[in-house]
This record gives sequence, structure tokens and C-alpha cells, in this order.
Amino acid sequence: MSVAVVTGAAGGIGRAVALRLARAGHRVVAVDVSDRIEEVVAMGGDGIDPSRIDAVQVDLTDPDGPEQVEQAVGDDHVAVLVNNAGITRDARLVNLAGPDFAAVLDINLGAAYHLTRRLIPRMRSGSSIISLASRAYLGNFGQYNYSMSKGAIVGMTRALAIELSPDIRVNAIAPGLIATEMTMGIPDDIRSKMVAAIPLGRMGEPAEVAELVAFLAMAEYITGEVVVIGGGRSLT
Amino acid sequence: MPLHVPPSWTAELHDLDALVFAPHDPTDDWDWVKSTLTLAFELSRSAAASRLPIVYVVDTDDLLGRRGAPRAMVATGLLSGARTAALETARDEVPVNVLAVEDGSTRSEICRWVRRLSEPGGPTGELVHLGSGHIGKALA
Repeated sequence: MSVAVVTGAAGGIGRAVALRLARAGHRVVAVDVSDRIEEVVAMGGDGIDPSRIDAVQVDLTDPDGPEQVEQAVGDDHVAVLVNNAGITRDARLVNLAGPDFAAVLDINLGAAYHLTRRLIPRMRSGSSIISLASRAYLGNFGQYNYSMSKGAIVGMTRALAIELSPDIRVNAIAPGLIATEMTMGIPDDIRSKMVAAIPLGRMGEPAEVAELVAFLAMAEYITGEVVVIGGGRSLT
Repeated sequence: MPLHVPPSWTAELHDLDALVFAPHDPTDDWDWVKSTLTLAFELSRSAAASRLPIVYVVDTDDLLGRRGAPRAMVATGLLSGARTAALETARDEVPVNVLAVEDGSTRSEICRWVRRLSEPGGPTGELVHLGSGHIGKALA
């Protein structure tokens, strides 16, 4: 059976991706550091049988984390790996604390790199790696650490696309403002200003990102690309 | 005058009042990625606090992912970090830029462009390529 591994699966985008890939017929290994992961997976949704999704609570910054994910894959091969786990610790560069820089780099980049390296031998020809970058990789005030980590995801994507061709395709997605628990925590007045700068006039939905993940997982002639999904925000 | 550059560049840049950061001595592992990006952050934070211009020097081949994931992660991570730092320092007209070089780029050419890109009030948030190997390739 083909397996899709999704990290950060207890969050808005990760959960939507896990459900979408389950609907596409994969057994999904849904990974998150949060103890909410089992509860989130049990919710199912969209007519998905929750038994198609295995919840795995793992800290991917733990040196044993990637091995625990591999064990959850079992004897199956990994058809899709979605590196989605990420955090923010925002501050202007001059005020950015060392531990906040390190935490963001370790989770957003290090965890993705180590898990990918661990799972590549479990992939076959036709498998796909999709990493969630962010529109912030183009630069975003107060997010030097986050922006750097997501920019580095772009570099990892390009290098692995070359290294793993023609068997495994590697792409990245750079979402803009998506309606998740994290972004809904932004004060209303600030969020309204952010939405006003989006040409399409609204926040994106996690399901829209999930649909793009599903597309890239199947798009047999696309590799090494970064697809921005941000309602045109990069233009304004 | 914080310089993190190959020793051969030091003589031509020693009088520059800017942070110049060029990753060097790469190894093919995560420890190099983390230590390099962390050093870039620490030096950049100090430079920003002192309102010093910042220039990161990377290789075009690394921006395009042609020499392995660790080098690519550092190069593209620095580019994104530079763009964010540029947003934060623009009001003070302190430039933050990235210079992408090729194997054929000469030391004097590199140092000349580092000086240009560190001029206060000059362009900021820019990626400037030496050579032509980037044309027609993924740049963002």
C-alpha cells in the first residue's frame, strides 16, 4: 500500500492535507508533536474513514524522531512526503533572540531535511516530496528567522529535485495568508489590513493548499518548482 | 568591519564599513548549514543594530541547487534573510543585498560589487548576479 507522510498534521493546513491525501487513496501517517494529533485525526471529515489515517505523536527535532516516523510507515513505501511542520517566533532582526532563531531553524528546516533524508530510501520511482515554504521566503518584516528557514526550504527543494531525478519529484508550496488557528490569532484590525492587500480579497483556505498538494503529488512533469498560493499578494 | 569572507578577500575589503558574509569551507551536512546560518544571523543582528550595510555573497550554482542540498539551503536561506533584513532597515537607508558569483568571477570583480552594494542610500533587497549562468533559470 502507498503511504503519504504528513508532518504538522494537527494544524489547519496539515490536517487538510492529511484528509485530502487519504481521499486520494493513500494510507496517511499523520505526524505532529502535539498530543492533539490523535484527536484531530479521529475527527475524520469529508467522508474519510479515520482508520486510513495513523496518528503519530513525534518531536521531529528529536534525533530519534525521523526513525519513529519510518517505523510508523511499516513495510509500505512512501508515495508522498509532505514537510509541513513549522513554527514562528517573530521579532525584528535587531531584537531576535538566539533561541528563537534556533528553534525556527531546527523545526522548519532541520526537521524537514532529516526526515526527508530518512525516508528517501523508502520511496520508489514516482514518489513525490512536497515541502511547505511560505510566501515569506520573498521577505517579510519581523520574520528574519522564519523567512530564512523557508527560503532554505526552497534551496533544499531545488537541490533534491536535481539529486533525485528522474525517480522522485520534489516541489515546494509557498502559501500566503491562510485561515488557520495561527493566522486567526492575529488581531482583527491587523488581519483586516493584511487581507486588504490581497488582490483576491480574502484569506486562503487550508483545503485550497491541500488541493495544490494533491495536484503536485500527481503532476508527473513538475519538479524543482515553488508554487505561490497567496491570492496575488506578491503583486501588491 | 565584520568580514566573514575567504582570507584572500580581506585585503581588498578591510576598510569597508559593512558586514560582508560569504559562506565558505562547506561540508555536506546539517551541522554546517546550521552553524553557517546561525553565524550569519548573529553577525547580521549586530550589523543591523549598528546600522551597517550588509552584503551576503553566495554562488549562483548554490542558489539553483546544483551542488547539493546543504549548500543550496545556505544560499537561498541567506537570500530570504537578506530580503527581510532589507525591509527592516530600508527606513534608515541601510542597504542589505546579495551578490551571486560564479566560478569565473574574479576577486577584484567581487570586491568591487560588494562595495557598490553596500553604499548607504543605494539599492536594497536586491540580488545581483555576476556572470551569465543565471539567465533563463529559476531566480526567485
